Amino acid sequence: MSRPELTGPAAHFYNEKEARKYDSSSRMVGVQREITERAIELLRLDHSQPAYVLDIGCGSGLSGQVLEEKGHFWLGCDVSRDMLLVAQERMHNQANDDDDDEGESDDESMDGESNKQQRKSTGDLMHHDMGTGLPFRPATFDACISISALQWLCYSNAAHQNPRRRLTRFFSSLYTVLKRGGRAVLQFYPETAEQAVLITECATRVGFAGGVVVDYPNSAKAKKHYLVLSFDRNSEQKRKAALKDGLSSAAEEPQSVLVTGASREGAKKAPIRKKKGVKTKEWVVHKKETQRKKGKAVRPDTKYTARRRPTKF
Amino acid sequence: MRLLTHNYLQSNVKGTEEGYPLGIVPETVEIEKSPVDRELLLSILPKLNYDAVHQAVAQLRLHCSTLPKLPSTLPENISNDENLVNDLYFVLFDVHVKNGCLVCPATQRKFPIKDGIPNMILHEDEI
Repeated sequence: MSRPELTGPAAHFYNEKEARKYDSSSRMVGVQREITERAIELLRLDHSQPAYVLDIGCGSGLSGQVLEEKGHFWLGCDVSRDMLLVAQERMHNQANDDDDDEGESDDESMDGESNKQQRKSTGDLMHHDMGTGLPFRPATFDACISISALQWLCYSNAAHQNPRRRLTRFFSSLYTVLKRGGRAVLQFYPETAEQAVLITECATRVGFAGGVVVDYPNSAKAKKHYLVLSFDRNSEQKRKAALKDGLSSAAEEPQSVLVTGASREGAKKAPIRKKKGVKTKEWVVHKKETQRKKGKAVRPDTKYTARRRPTKF
Repeated sequence: MRLLTHNYLQSNVKGTEEGYPLGIVPETVEIEKSPVDRELLLSILPKLNYDAVHQAVAQLRLHCSTLPKLPSTLPENISNDENLVNDLYFVLFDVHVKNGCLVCPATQRKFPIKDGIPNMILHEDEI
């Protein structure tokens, strides 16, 4: 069975028919629910306080429902409109099951207060592509979850889509919109080990701390990968201490990383060699700099560096 | 789309300086009354941008005049003012903009809202 990610963009795969199938399959619902509960467990939320959780790739709202049961409120985003419409139906049915005596509530009757304690769904939905960055104010969310969605970023479906760039854009915007001290748990299905490494790399490069938790590592079918991200506590403490001392160069860890290629500090542009085998001075100097950064012993740069030797050594 | 969501949304189109708060141009607004959860409201109040809420309600009142009027600034001891708490909860959680659009204040770019779901998908040149 081929992976759905290989067939095309997520919005095309999750069309109306597929969305209905997804939502009505009890096996799928069961599996997704289990994954969500595990993700919430990894989030280590305080369930006595309602938290604002971002659900990325919320699909038909299965994970959102679990979040609500734990007492939190959420905002889900998904790139497939058909899945979102199914989610709306689910939320609507959930609400209608809870208060039978109210009926359709389109009218503005102010006396329609339900006597039952059950609340209507506190989730909201948004149609959006996660690879283009999250359009929210900084520090909006207390936490973030994502169930079986992240791997879609690893496949490029158009000329302008570059997986690494999309992943980096996604993670850097996630870093910004998460409140400090918040956590993100993203369950995904990597096709290869390289994909898992790519995803983790892009996440840690923007400043997140954390890594991947693998449940059932010995079973190919049951194996689940959870990318658990948080804000590096050590760097936070260092930053606070440095700010207290009034050091302006304190903020080594980026607070919000803007991903524009040219302005990235220390952008590594490999210098070009003139022709194969001939190393330009630029290349040699760059290489020496790299080695110095690695901490190796390197001769100082002088006027003799990369000078063309008159005779072969 | 609830006003709670609207409070946090901003335009992240490439090169936009101040894409917040988004203006609302409503076409269809629905009210779904739900019991007031006081604790929830009081816990989210500090993080809300109240001016954006006030502006959003003002824009919606042009379309739906039964919405409550909110004070232009939040009073200090809000937990004592039951009416204001109820009004705020109502405005944030029970008012749903079903159709309409969101407008970026800087670039006037429109984000359509259809069936209660705002479409924030960017075009290729806006990424």
